[in-house]
Amino acid sequence: MKRIGLPFALAVGLALPTVAVSAETKPMPENARVYIIWPADGQTIPGGKFWVRMGLSGAGIAPAGIEKANTGHHHLLVDVDLPPLDQVVPNDKNHLHFGLGQTEAHLELPPGRHTLQLLLADDGHIPHNPPLYSKKITIIVTP
Amino acid sequence: MHHRQCLAGTAAAVLIAASAYAQTPSPTTPPPPSASPHETGTTQPGFKRTPSPAGAYVYIGWPNDGQVLHTTHIKVWFGTRGFGVAPAGTTKANTGHHHLLIDVAPPPMDQPIPNDKNHLHFGLGQTETVIDLPPGTHTLQLLMGDADHVPHDPPLLSKKVTIRVVAAEGSSADTR
Repeated sequence: MKRIGLPFALAVGLALPTVAVSAETKPMPENARVYIIWPADGQTIPGGKFWVRMGLSGAGIAPAGIEKANTGHHHLLVDVDLPPLDQVVPNDKNHLHFGLGQTEAHLELPPGRHTLQLLLADDGHIPHNPPLYSKKITIIVTP
Repeated sequence: MHHRQCLAGTAAAVLIAASAYAQTPSPTTPPPPSASPHETGTTQPGFKRTPSPAGAYVYIGWPNDGQVLHTTHIKVWFGTRGFGVAPAGTTKANTGHHHLLIDVAPPPMDQPIPNDKNHLHFGLGQTETVIDLPPGTHTLQLLMGDADHVPHDPPLLSKKVTIRVVAAEGSSADTR
């Protein structure tokens, strides 16, 4: 038990500074672009259950943990501003990770106005340099 | 700094792995990894296939079936549901990479997908492309391939869409 405890403490202790201090960012081609294919900005969605289709041009998709140049995986930001772009993307109900390499996201949102924005990140969930994020769109969910 | 972190991480990982083995002295130890099938030639029948989950499918998000396009410069986007996209060479369950079949019937499903002008590979993990097609009727179909470009079992093959390309007036470089 003690044997396992020490490496864990070491790993945690060394991992913490990478969150506080700027992490290394990976490059992306100049022409790469991430965008929301569907829904459209301003779209009204009755019921609030829908699929978001996530678009990427000029680069590739790779699952989290797969390190390959010019690839990344999607993160969908719901009702939230962009997080710091030199750190790991948070993982919570406002920051959805698609670490399998998915290109669609199923959402269920309550009635009202909501914002959606995509942010691509590398194998370690850190945005690229330059960061690839979409326009933030607003949708209106009706009952 | 970075180097130290890697070393510590590796040490921790090794220790954790070692303790995991120690805690599970199971008689059913996993079989040793067999030789990689892709080193034994690419044309022999009966290639090892990667399973795909129930409910997964691929589709062409654009263009639509029956679409008439007034350009020879055509954007195609690849849709995937219940499945992930990964670059060629990545062995991760429930992932694969797209192949776009143009004006051709699906190839054999137990062999690597051919790589030519009728079978375009998107081994970086791309989810869209732009192709140039001459005026006329064309078919497009997507086929997912695994790390070794072999279709999954069951295969993830999209509906085949038929489009009609009409000669564009003036420039054909209609970059959408």
